[in-house]
Amino acid sequence: MPLSRRGLLRAGLAGTAATALGGLASGCAVPTGSTGRNMVLWYWDGGLGDTVLDKARARYGGSVDLQAIKIGGYYRSKLITTMAGRAHVPDIAGLKGEDMASYLPNADQFVDLRTLGAEKYRSQYLPWKWDQGIADDGTMVGFPIDCGPVAHFYQYAVFQKAGLPYEPDDVSKELNTWEKFFGAGERLRKRIPGTYLLSDVNVVFENAVQQGSKRYVDKDRHFIGDQQHVRTAWDLAVEAKRRGIVSDLVTGTPDQLSAVQDGKLPSQLGASWATNDLKSGVPKTKGRWRVADMPVRPSNNGGSFLSITKACREPERAFEIITWLLDPANQAQGFVDAGLFPSTPASYGLRKLREPDPFFGGQVTMDVFGPAAQKIAVAYNSPYDVALGQPIKDEIKNVGVLGKDPKKAWSDAMSKCRRIAEHLGVSH
Amino acid sequence: MATVPALDRPPAAVADTPVTQPRKGFRKYWHLYAAISPFYLLFLAFGLVPVGFSLYVSLHRWDGLGSMEWAGLSQYQYLLGDSDFWSSVGNTVLIWALATFPMIFLAMVTAVMLNSAVRFKNVYRFAYFLPNVTSVVAIAIVFGSVFSTNFGLVNALLQALGLDQVAWLNTPWGIKIAIATLMTWQWTGYNAIIFLAGLQTIPGELYEAARMDGAGPAQTFFRVTLPLMRPVLLFVLVISTVTGLQSFSEPQVLLQNTANESTFSGGPGHAGRTMVLYFFQQTFDNNDFGYGAAVAWGIFLVVILFSIINWRLVQRRGED
Repeated sequence: MPLSRRGLLRAGLAGTAATALGGLASGCAVPTGSTGRNMVLWYWDGGLGDTVLDKARARYGGSVDLQAIKIGGYYRSKLITTMAGRAHVPDIAGLKGEDMASYLPNADQFVDLRTLGAEKYRSQYLPWKWDQGIADDGTMVGFPIDCGPVAHFYQYAVFQKAGLPYEPDDVSKELNTWEKFFGAGERLRKRIPGTYLLSDVNVVFENAVQQGSKRYVDKDRHFIGDQQHVRTAWDLAVEAKRRGIVSDLVTGTPDQLSAVQDGKLPSQLGASWATNDLKSGVPKTKGRWRVADMPVRPSNNGGSFLSITKACREPERAFEIITWLLDPANQAQGFVDAGLFPSTPASYGLRKLREPDPFFGGQVTMDVFGPAAQKIAVAYNSPYDVALGQPIKDEIKNVGVLGKDPKKAWSDAMSKCRRIAEHLGVSH
Repeated sequence: MATVPALDRPPAAVADTPVTQPRKGFRKYWHLYAAISPFYLLFLAFGLVPVGFSLYVSLHRWDGLGSMEWAGLSQYQYLLGDSDFWSSVGNTVLIWALATFPMIFLAMVTAVMLNSAVRFKNVYRFAYFLPNVTSVVAIAIVFGSVFSTNFGLVNALLQALGLDQVAWLNTPWGIKIAIATLMTWQWTGYNAIIFLAGLQTIPGELYEAARMDGAGPAQTFFRVTLPLMRPVLLFVLVISTVTGLQSFSEPQVLLQNTANESTFSGGPGHAGRTMVLYFFQQTFDNNDFGYGAAVAWGIFLVVILFSIINWRLVQRRGED
């Protein structure tokens, strides 16, 4: 049969049209959430332990088809876009701790976990962590996954050489205020020239803010970044610069990593998950590190939640899965799998978490992180904290890196904040 | 000498086709319209609709998830007085200039060298084109090492020359130069290939005539090659303007920081914060989709302005 050009064109067009129509038809049938049978869970790399997810798939396989999907890239923007598009919304969604404040004002997009009986699990979880998952109107959006208690990592031999306390208990006890901590930094630099206690001033500023119970904007949508708690953190950071205990290196760069490796930056204030960064970033330092309490009081950095979206057709089943995934025994497994620090104090005593860590010279790091996690202050996180905290963090960085005059930097930060506050409808 | 075909007379085949009535046109050619429709349909769905929507969003306050709140022109009003936006415009233009002019010069030199008979011409062309198809993220990570303070190649070179180290990624000018160098490296080869194509359209007779009139190599280049390359040069300039004004991945990856810090802040003093980076920070860090959309339209206007400048340049050259 001769194939004419016209015939070919017709066939091609018909095919294209059929495909397009088919696409449209299936487009109409796009499920907003589950079909009931399949249960889609969104998380990110390292957001949940793989062993636990495998076990959950086997355990609930009889009734639902649990599809745990690892989402790469900028997680929050992908989740928000999908939810705004109201199609293919996951049934269970992981929410990162630092993004919580931006989800909570839209609590109506999620199932209130209180209606599913969350209250009876409350006593098993860290109280401050539990409260972080609750919106202003009392709706419980997030169920606690992990948390990130911050501690003081230091290199044993360097501290010893500098004549500083070097046993974890002594470091915790003797460097328990910022003043003593900075004093140790000066001594370190004097004894071993070219050595700095911390990489930059932002470490001091942000940890000092995180230690408190207030941030940049309060519950009444009022800017409080100009108040004493921020000012104190600012002054501490400026003092760290003035006393010359911070380096001019940028965190995460090859320069900084090599300084850490050579013992030129023997100290870090990092969250529990930073142990993994150290192990992968400077593997050659294995055995040199120890962990002690950070000055003053522990703060929290990171830690996330699981939520059930409004698109979920079987919230009860989803809730059953979540509570099982995040019970104390499975949280302990999550710590082993992915370094997720449990939000369930009952896990801290389990043998899995009390293994001596050769990277930290055989220290049982849980002895530091466990008690720290239970001493963290409850803080209110406003959805405007990111926008109104950034100018202050930027300006303290200018002081630290570019040597900008602190007075000028503070007034620049404040005038910028006031402008942004006005724009966002935050009172000041 | 070869005869030049007369371009003003249309080829016979076209002239002989009977002119169709516009009324009947659609029915007769519907399948042709259908054949080209996918592009327009896709453009409508993924181009025009989002563009229209962003205009709509820019007139509202929206956190990306909740309900939108009418804001009128207040986002634009804020944009006009937003010093951060204007400084990002300044950064973008500076980085663009620092990248583009050396790039055009180097590309031209490379093209001229490639054009004079060398062996393995295709190998060189491939090698020069390679940076352009390499992932910007990968390039930025490598350049992050090249410009690092203590172990970077650049500082090693400076020290070998007896000069002081420069904290490239920690000083405002250093950041700009690092980003511009990255862009120059990435685009030189691509533009050299385009220049090369342009060079090859210049008839050999002109060079022959120039030589017979006693012109030296420099004179030949400036009097013969350069004037004839003008359209190509303008094309390259336009393309680099469009890409340069949209630089985003370069500063973002080069200056990204620890996990708890914004990756869109553009380094110390915001020296590397370009327009698109600022747009991203406002939209996705601050969840301020309304203002983000307004910033995007601000960027659009800046690009339009540069396009008009480019267009005027082309026009004037055309009149010569």
